[in-house]
Amino acid sequence: MSTTGSRDAMLGALGAVLLLGAWESVARSGIVSPAVFPAPSAAVLGTLARMPLDDIAGHVAISLGRIVCGFMLGAMLGITIAIAAGWYRILGNLVRPVIEMLRPIPPLAWIPMAIVWFGLGEPSKIFVIFLGAFFPILTNAYRGIAGIDPVLIRAAQTMDVRGLRLLTKIVLPAAMPDIATGLRVGWGLSFGVLVAAELIAAESGMGFMIMNARQFGEVGVIIFGILLIGACNLVTDWGLAMLIRRWLGKWHSI
Amino acid sequence: MSALRDRPALQGAMFIVALFALWELASALGWLRVFQFPPPSRIAEALWELAVSGFPEGVRIWTHAAVTIARILQGFLLAMITAIPIGLVIGRAPLLDAATLPIITFARSVATLSLLPLAIVWFGIGELSKVMLIAYGCFWVMLTNTIAAVKYVDPVLIRAARTMDVDGARLFTQVILPAAAPRLLAGARVALGVGFMVIVGAEMIGTIRGLGALIMEARNFYRTDISIVGMVALGLLGIGLTAGLAWLERVLLPWNTGLASVRR
Amino acid sequence: MRPWIELRGVTKRYDGDAARAPVLLDIDLNVAENEFVTLVGRSGCGKTTLLNIVAGLVEASSGEVKVDGARVTGPGRGKGVVFQQHALFPWLTARRNIEFGASSRGLDAAAARNEADQLLALVRLSEFGEKYPNQLSGGMQQRVAIARALALDPQLLLMDEPFGALDEITRIEMQEELLRVWSSRRKTVLFVTHSITEALMLSDRIVVMRANPGGIAAEYRIDRPRPRNRSDAALAALHEQLWTQLR
Repeated sequence: MSTTGSRDAMLGALGAVLLLGAWESVARSGIVSPAVFPAPSAAVLGTLARMPLDDIAGHVAISLGRIVCGFMLGAMLGITIAIAAGWYRILGNLVRPVIEMLRPIPPLAWIPMAIVWFGLGEPSKIFVIFLGAFFPILTNAYRGIAGIDPVLIRAAQTMDVRGLRLLTKIVLPAAMPDIATGLRVGWGLSFGVLVAAELIAAESGMGFMIMNARQFGEVGVIIFGILLIGACNLVTDWGLAMLIRRWLGKWHSI
Repeated sequence: MSALRDRPALQGAMFIVALFALWELASALGWLRVFQFPPPSRIAEALWELAVSGFPEGVRIWTHAAVTIARILQGFLLAMITAIPIGLVIGRAPLLDAATLPIITFARSVATLSLLPLAIVWFGIGELSKVMLIAYGCFWVMLTNTIAAVKYVDPVLIRAARTMDVDGARLFTQVILPAAAPRLLAGARVALGVGFMVIVGAEMIGTIRGLGALIMEARNFYRTDISIVGMVALGLLGIGLTAGLAWLERVLLPWNTGLASVRR
Repeated sequence: MRPWIELRGVTKRYDGDAARAPVLLDIDLNVAENEFVTLVGRSGCGKTTLLNIVAGLVEASSGEVKVDGARVTGPGRGKGVVFQQHALFPWLTARRNIEFGASSRGLDAAAARNEADQLLALVRLSEFGEKYPNQLSGGMQQRVAIARALALDPQLLLMDEPFGALDEITRIEMQEELLRVWSSRRKTVLFVTHSITEALMLSDRIVVMRANPGGIAAEYRIDRPRPRNRSDAALAALHEQLWTQLR
């Protein structure tokens, strides 16, 4: 995972341009049938002609809405449990094995049961996205809290800091870099889970848009959707990296 | 009780056993609906059924697992044999590295599973589309890690080798490659994880064999107990794959104590 | 005059390993108010453990530990510590780190800021107040650490090989710096080091410790006025003596 978010975004954009340019020329040369391998320009223009911008924007909004919900839930629960498990040893001993047992199960594998529990609507997708974010955030946050340099704790103790003050003033700030890493990884995973969930079991959203297009053989829309998802991924990841840099950048080299 | 206090493993194990017992009890008492939360006993029965007669009829759990593993490994290996050589070359050529970075960054931002519909259009609904999808996901991860593995070999090691008149191809095979190996294996581990995630999603569309498909199909027939067996099987598979790679790493790199020993 | 630090029969055993010789066995030690005492010895002689016991970070297996007449029950409460790794909080600036120490003893925000300014000036880092620890050199970090410990207005200053991680030249500068600061804000100091020279430059009294079991081998009083000359003949003779003692 690269470190400078804005440089990443620009490079990504440059890469996109290069790749699309190459693709465009190959497609135009007519080596492959345009039905199977359309030029990106054709894909984009074709899609825009066929689908009103409102519709597309709607799909994007729904997708982003889901991922934000799921991610925030995952972050809140993940960090809270990490703090509780890291601070209270016995709680940690009880909770960690349960987490370790659940973690190897890929989030997507939960989809059918999520539908059983929450129905076919939004909650089931948000649940699966939540799972995607929850485990990496929990793992990283826990590592940050449990792995704090003991000399910092000792130093705080010599200054009469103990109990809850020790947690809020020392342990949490010290764990922030790890928490930030967890958030970034969790977001990336959530995104992948979102797309898959929408492909498999949704009536709206960018993933659905692609799947739907396949049923009608609209390869152009599929490609458009893929590029759109990629762009959203880049932009949101860059945004998150910026936020983290602002939060931690001064004292921690991200 | 004090014996319990000092044995975290025991605490954890007892807690899990207690949870299972509670689950079983809640189901027996009717607090939990069997369809929504099949109790451990039901899941065990389903496991037996899957092991002996199979679901759908005749397809036993071993077959499902084997199919899933086969798909993962094919895609994974395809990615390895392409990404590693390319990555090694790019890693040693700063110009290439800079030139390809934007392309790689963009390609990685594409959600692998979003390519599934396209893969189906291009490669049909059979095995190839799934394998290609996994290969795509694994490829970019492995490529990035390979490039980094080569780039970040501790320059001190290279300088030391040069003072011993080791250069060119020998430098590459005898110094750079071994020094890059730990990170290469770490990258392989991540790539395998990606492949694992991708296959689960890919199997949930348009196929009835494989663990992902099993989970999906079972639900369609209201056999949530079988779905959960599938989930557990996937979890165990994930653990197995990780353990397998860890073992491979111990065998190939017995000297390795972690990335710190070769990384700058 | 009652001693400031009193240790009577202090023993520390290894946890769960009764067969090994204790880390510390039957230590008796007094430190007078504002005295600068250094514990010297090889690694493993228990000097750091002894320091930690006085600091309240480690509990003695048996024996009595008193500071200013009161038994030591835990860390804090006026026992400032400077560790070998600077232990500065990386998410706080130098100034904020020192303010943290000041507000721990109950100063309000304005008073804490004031105290931090004064201490920054004392350790001659006034222009570096807004820097984060990772932007400071090793010597600067330790100066901030000392300032932070002083911000507690502590009863005593416990220093565990504070200059051990620094290069030779910085080390010598820091010793001079410490003496300067100490003459301005006099405290009782218990200092741990494995460097004989350092002990000779800084202390009123040197306590030589031995290992297996950990105990006091000898004590030496030094009456030379400070700052001391490295090439002073009397000190050189003492150096020889200590060196022989420690081998």
